[in-house]
Amino acid sequence: MNGKTVRRRRALLIGLVVLSLILLTAYFGESPNGGLHSVQRDFLTVVSPIQDGANTALKPVRSVIGWFGEVLHAKSEVSKLRHERDKLRAERVAEQERTRMDREAVGIADIESKAKLAGYKPVSAEVVFETPSSWYSTVDINKGSSEGIAINDAVYNGEGLVGVVTQVASEAAQVSLITDSEVAVSARIAGTPDWGIVQPKVGDPSHLLLQFLHGKAEVVKGDIVVTSGMINSEAKSLYPAGIPIGTVTSIEESAYTSINIRPAVELHSLDLVRVLTDVPGAKQSRMSSSLASLPAGKGEAALASAPASGYAQAGGGG
Amino acid sequence: MSISSSQVKLAFRIAALIVVVVFLQVGVVSEVPVFGVTVELTPLLAAFVGLLCGSTWGALAGFCIGLFVDLALVQTLGVSSLLFTLIGFWAGRLREVRDPQAALTPLAVGAAASAFALVGLSVIEFLLGVDAPVSLLLLRQIVLGVVVDAIAAMPFWVIVRRALRPSLPQDPRRRRSRRAYSTGGLSPLSRA
Repeated sequence: MNGKTVRRRRALLIGLVVLSLILLTAYFGESPNGGLHSVQRDFLTVVSPIQDGANTALKPVRSVIGWFGEVLHAKSEVSKLRHERDKLRAERVAEQERTRMDREAVGIADIESKAKLAGYKPVSAEVVFETPSSWYSTVDINKGSSEGIAINDAVYNGEGLVGVVTQVASEAAQVSLITDSEVAVSARIAGTPDWGIVQPKVGDPSHLLLQFLHGKAEVVKGDIVVTSGMINSEAKSLYPAGIPIGTVTSIEESAYTSINIRPAVELHSLDLVRVLTDVPGAKQSRMSSSLASLPAGKGEAALASAPASGYAQAGGGG
Repeated sequence: MSISSSQVKLAFRIAALIVVVVFLQVGVVSEVPVFGVTVELTPLLAAFVGLLCGSTWGALAGFCIGLFVDLALVQTLGVSSLLFTLIGFWAGRLREVRDPQAALTPLAVGAAASAFALVGLSVIEFLLGVDAPVSLLLLRQIVLGVVVDAIAAMPFWVIVRRALRPSLPQDPRRRRSRRAYSTGGLSPLSRA
């Protein structure tokens, strides 16, 4: 019985395998119009309606399963797209930063080509800290006395005059902005010999006021105000001539003409700045040439009041 | 050789199961990719019929499943029949000779059946001259297919066993009184 069962089982297996091989060989060898292909087509014709019916009936099941699959796929897609978005955003920010820095560098180069910077050595620095207030008037930079920066060095960027160094450490310095009430700049209207003193407007530190204007020049709205390169009792820092300070926005006529100025520099978004440090030996000749431009008798008084440490405290003039 | 009514019932159940599973495979399962591959229920069905009913039924069911699949999917006739016949027969012989008792036997058998079917299909297609890309991608597809089929094997095993159990022949292992299942129960494979 057992032997018979085994023989029958083996025979069945061999028969089915041989049948499969015959089917395979015949199907593979015959033309597309052959018998087995015809049987397959007929079978498909018979089964197709059933298959369609089954497909229609099973469509909701497929949709539900597909929905889960799509949700999972969408989740991974969202994660992937978020990653790409963050990457692109970072690239865009970096690109914008590069563009801004390039623009800044171009502006600085432009200013340096126009301003009279002989005897100065510009040092690039980055603003690392701003006083957290809309009324802030100082910023800290990441370069200090080790780079030759000293108190009263002029600071500017690609847009114009930023301020003056008021505190110096070895690797850092504090810059008082031109909107600081302690800062005053000798300035003139660009293209005219008339000069005056630029100081912050009382009650509106984001705007400047050009006062004590000497001369009879016609000032109109939109005129550019630049540093004059002169010293006087109010403007204690000898800024090189020709650095833009701002644009005339309005003129107030009274005993003195007061001119409102909008600063050229966006002081709330400072980044890269240049500090004009002294070249050793150049200071004295610069002082002499500046004092020589003063009326007779006033140059000596200014020189006498100037401390040995620098030109910053040079007074007199008018 | 006489055919009993229980065998006829079993044949009908297997035939019905083949039709349902093939339509399910074509209509639903093949349209839902998992990890980039689709679950192949047909080799699992051939293996599980063999595992439940023995080598003869396994080989016959495998041949029929393969033929049905080849006809329905307009594939080369005989390829799936050959592979599934061997799978069904091998699974049946495993039951008859080894009598595996582990609860995870269906998973292992399903994975082996899937691997055999996928590799066998690739080899036959290659031998027939079909331009099958023999690459790491194909290997990855085969491995993923085996993993996915192994995952689907356990729930599918439960379904197949429930469908065929009422017509299953006497469990030959009941005669083995020396075994742990001699207290009256069936092996975990045959228990509902």
